[in-house]
Amino acid sequence: MEISTLPISASQRGKLISAGYTSLSSLSSLSPSSLAQDLKISETEALQILKVASQRNGLNKFENGSRAIVNGAQTAWDMLHEEESSIRITTSCSDLDEILGGGISPKEVTEIGGVPGIGKTQLAIQLAVNVQIPADYGGLGGKAIYIDTEGSFMVERALQIAEACAQDMLEYNSLLRKDFKPCQVNKEPKEFLDNIFYFRVCTYTEQIAVINYLEKFIFEHKDVGKVDYLEVKVIIIDSITFHFRQDFEDMALRTRLLGGMALKLMKLAKKFNLAVVLLNQVTTKFMDGSFQLTLALGDSWAHASTNRIILYWNGNERYAYIDKSPSLRSASASYTVTGKGIRNSASNCKRVKLM
Amino acid sequence: MAPLKGLERNYPLIDSNFQKFCATHGIFTLEDFLVHDIYLLAALAERDYASDKLKQGITQILTILDCQSRPCINGLELLKDAENNKCVLSTGCERIDALLQGGLRGGHVTEIVGPSSSGKTQFCLQAASNVARQYSGRVMYFDSGNSFSPKRIAQFLHSSDRSSTKANEVSKKIMSNILHHSIFDIFTLLDMLHQLVTNLKTQVDCQVRILIIDSLSSLIAPVLGGGGAHGHGLMVSAGFLLKELAHEHNLSILVTNHMVAGEAGMSKPALGESWKNIPHVRLMLSRRHGTNVSSISLLKHTYL
Repeated sequence: MEISTLPISASQRGKLISAGYTSLSSLSSLSPSSLAQDLKISETEALQILKVASQRNGLNKFENGSRAIVNGAQTAWDMLHEEESSIRITTSCSDLDEILGGGISPKEVTEIGGVPGIGKTQLAIQLAVNVQIPADYGGLGGKAIYIDTEGSFMVERALQIAEACAQDMLEYNSLLRKDFKPCQVNKEPKEFLDNIFYFRVCTYTEQIAVINYLEKFIFEHKDVGKVDYLEVKVIIIDSITFHFRQDFEDMALRTRLLGGMALKLMKLAKKFNLAVVLLNQVTTKFMDGSFQLTLALGDSWAHASTNRIILYWNGNERYAYIDKSPSLRSASASYTVTGKGIRNSASNCKRVKLM
Repeated sequence: MAPLKGLERNYPLIDSNFQKFCATHGIFTLEDFLVHDIYLLAALAERDYASDKLKQGITQILTILDCQSRPCINGLELLKDAENNKCVLSTGCERIDALLQGGLRGGHVTEIVGPSSSGKTQFCLQAASNVARQYSGRVMYFDSGNSFSPKRIAQFLHSSDRSSTKANEVSKKIMSNILHHSIFDIFTLLDMLHQLVTNLKTQVDCQVRILIIDSLSSLIAPVLGGGGAHGHGLMVSAGFLLKELAHEHNLSILVTNHMVAGEAGMSKPALGESWKNIPHVRLMLSRRHGTNVSSISLLKHTYL
């Protein structure tokens, strides 16, 4: 039945089928008023249904023999050039940047998970600050959206990290760019805080509602006519697990909601060319004869992100391990959390450990 | 199946009189006509005052229904079709080709199932780069997780092609044949598949050899379940569209699926029992914990 494959509501679908309209061809030569009369619905609703049907039908009738097999497809060659020229968000830790191929890449959804206290929120705040590094310093020069579900965002800490970042930029300016024009943009730490949009959500419904609202929000903040107006370049959700873990009765519903949420985030990442960073918690799983730590939210969620990074303790050091990535090798690197934010660990062994 | 009044324009025999006659017997669409007893209807038409016209109307509808049914072909024609048109595409990995006795076959829908980070996307990327390179055919890549990595495809191409002088030009030509599209919901996927069906019919020289959907399960998971059967309907119609595409246009189709928890702690492929019968070939990947080695096993094949 072709009607069931149209994106219309269930009640409209039921009315169409009971009136005998089961294929697209039956709707093709119908006027809205006769359809409205048949189904006993309003004319605007009938017009909407016919528009959806004609869109599907319009795809079937192709005049003027355009060469594209599918509208909107891109070749791999073009994408390669785009990818090579895209700038990544640095994590301020060069070891971590190295295993990530430069940093967190835009257009992808990166999931970062770890035990409590490993530094997930610290890394998230660092990324929210680093995304604002201006293009002259090799950064993205964009704004950040921070969706906080646990209430772990500390403004004072963000200010501290922002101050350290501004200090680093000043040093870079004076050390390396002596012969060039000095960089005009000297960021004040408070300016960094200006560009972080903070949402606090308290239930899973709010979480899904915010994600649905983000598209409109980002679009509104895109181009406002000013010359150096920044766009949103990273969406951080800390953490995505919290509201889905506490007594969620219907597991099947949870899987569906998480799947839908993941697709929406992917679409946002692709459409607005921004990075999405999701923070996740851990749980134990009985695998291969022993209990092991894995990221929460189950097996279906594991496929929802493009890249997965697991943070763990090794002795007294914090390590990050790339668990899943389409283009990066599995590797681990160590990092520390200092007063200035995430930095390289000052250990003796500086080499990247390949697993 | 169209309602009868829609046919009035093209077939004047099905006039309002005929429609009224059918309506008195509860027939409003062609479908209703099929489930009704034709002999009984003809006998009732006899007794009506305009019996000739009614009988002509019935014959007209029967001819319309005949046109809608598929033509039948015999086994010999099928064998000739299988030998000449449906060729085997190598996946780029010798051992997997050996397992599949050649590789991915045209006309087959192949499904790859595996837990997270077992190598499904890598398999898809390698198959894409190999088909583009070895058979210089076009590759359609539908990606729902932004995991198409052109850098990785370039790596695959460079590893097999040692000469670096013309490497760039050759890479450009090969990679221009890989078309990528991002899809984020099941309705867009169905739209794209319909578009593909029409365009492949009208454009004979596009030479699409393989269609890769990574991953089909993340597109279907948000609509599956929840009490209604609508999600299942969408999944099955997508499956049938894929099989139609594969058979009619000699495409090889590769889809990926993920695993969910089954009973007794074992994982099973997602998408359930109804999906099990749709792909022709099912391959399962599993990765030994902590190593780079994955193993692949054949769950279902049509003739192996």
